[in-house]
Amino acid sequence: MSSLIRSVVAVSALGASVQAALAQAPGGRDARLQALLARAESLAAGIAREDSVAREERHRERLATRFDAGAVTVILPASVGGATGRRFVEGAARILDSAGVIPASFIAGRIVVAYAADGVDSLVRAARLDKRVRIGADISAAPDSLTDGLLAADVLAQSYRGTLDPEWRKWLPSDMGMGWNMRIEGTEAVRELMAGETHVGALCLGGSVAGCRLWLGLDRGAQPYQVAEIRRLVATRYWPRSRGLLAQCLGGSDEACETVARDSGLIPPIPLAPAGAASRGSLLRAVRRLHGDGALRAALADTAGSVGERLARASHVSEDSLVAEWRSWILTGGGQPRVTADLRDAVPAVLIAALLLLAAARTGRWR
Amino acid sequence: MYKQVLYAQWLALRLPTVLLAVLGFALPLLTVTYGGALENAPSETVAQWLFASQKIGVLIPALALLVGLLLGIGTWAPDHAGKHVYALSLPVPRATYVLLRFAAGATLVAAPVLALGVGSAVAVLSVKLPGGIHAYPMQLTLRFALACLVCFAIFFAISISTRRAALAVLGLLGGVVLADLVLAALSISGAASVSETVLYLLTNWPGPLAILMGRWALFDV
Repeated sequence: MSSLIRSVVAVSALGASVQAALAQAPGGRDARLQALLARAESLAAGIAREDSVAREERHRERLATRFDAGAVTVILPASVGGATGRRFVEGAARILDSAGVIPASFIAGRIVVAYAADGVDSLVRAARLDKRVRIGADISAAPDSLTDGLLAADVLAQSYRGTLDPEWRKWLPSDMGMGWNMRIEGTEAVRELMAGETHVGALCLGGSVAGCRLWLGLDRGAQPYQVAEIRRLVATRYWPRSRGLLAQCLGGSDEACETVARDSGLIPPIPLAPAGAASRGSLLRAVRRLHGDGALRAALADTAGSVGERLARASHVSEDSLVAEWRSWILTGGGQPRVTADLRDAVPAVLIAALLLLAAARTGRWR
Repeated sequence: MYKQVLYAQWLALRLPTVLLAVLGFALPLLTVTYGGALENAPSETVAQWLFASQKIGVLIPALALLVGLLLGIGTWAPDHAGKHVYALSLPVPRATYVLLRFAAGATLVAAPVLALGVGSAVAVLSVKLPGGIHAYPMQLTLRFALACLVCFAIFFAISISTRRAALAVLGLLGGVVLADLVLAALSISGAASVSETVLYLLTNWPGPLAILMGRWALFDV
């Protein structure tokens, strides 16, 4: 509308100028008239071009584009561009496949509608063409959210999380292990374990499986914190200090601290388990790597017992064995053995050295 | 004849050999400069110490690379300087001469390896480890020896190779980069990166550089 007004005003102004020029300067009348008419035509053509581009952009916004990779389907605004869209959906499929948490059937039954803040209606309209459940993902919130598929993987993961039982929802890391990477999150998990913030973390680092179970928060109703640790957590984290129980704990009441910890998960300052999201994500990743996709999905589908019992049952090992496997796996950077020098290392090294020696003996500068 | 070649090589390379041996001895000892009485130390101290140990461990394959580079190329330095006249004047076949040079160079490589072994043993004896943490001085030394041997062989072969061979290697590397560029230009979806694949093959077992990868910590879980 504004461009229409602009064009009317511009052409009117030029028309008026032409009239004035004709009236005031009869001598150089033809030349000035032609110049003014040319300017008017050029201006009108420019305005028409701008209008056409704007119309095209509005039209493209209405035409959402669909991208598929594996079981993942994403609808993106057409303005996003084909290459970016493909990268986005392929990235999402890769992240979901790598995490292995969500069954393919669940993913295939959903369609991710990525929208920019100003194009919601058009995208939702486009998505309605598909019968599958639609999940919205706001791409305008993070401008670089299209660089990988993490956003799409994340909205699918949150949707899947909603279908799990409360025990899982309470324990699972907020990102459901999406995008978990040994180099970044794995290092963070080890750092967290080694930080020595809790006595169960120190026990776990020292080799105590029971300590690891408490640190990871695998046992239902277990208390991983000592009173001093609870007091420290209450003192160092943000919480509304007027709340009676927390204030009493800080004031020196051990009973109050124990009550706070017993209700962990309900009172914000105390996390459910000392292990953070990256560490709990590492257990999910270890179960998948060591016992296969099926084990992780079976555990997530299980609703009986504690999280530890479910994971152990699905992996067909005892809970202690599973936790010991995880400890070794995470502390050795994903199952990399400690420094080794066995036949497996020696044979290729010696063979390669021998081959290079042979090559050096057969060809050379003075041959 | 081996003794003479070794002696000549020692005269030419004694400075780098001694320096590398000093480095080899010092590296494991760096780990224990953070403290040695860890038996009853707080877990935070143990954690920091273990992290430091692992960080220092990363320097060990780098040292192996340096050993290979300096001694591998240095082995042929006198021959290059003398335009290979000495080698041509010897009454031995070329293959025998190359073997002698390799054996003498490998003998010099043993110096930093032994120094690292002694340094590791001293470091291990000077700490009291807490439960769950172990020392691997023997494995570390053997792995370092193998890594040095591979690096030495690579640089030994490169140093004596002909221009044609050098061009062939450079051409191969250029081809890998070119293949990646072509794949990127064609926007072939799902195509693996050629350079990444080559790097993966080189650095994963049984690739020639796999020995340099993996874990190198003297103290580990």
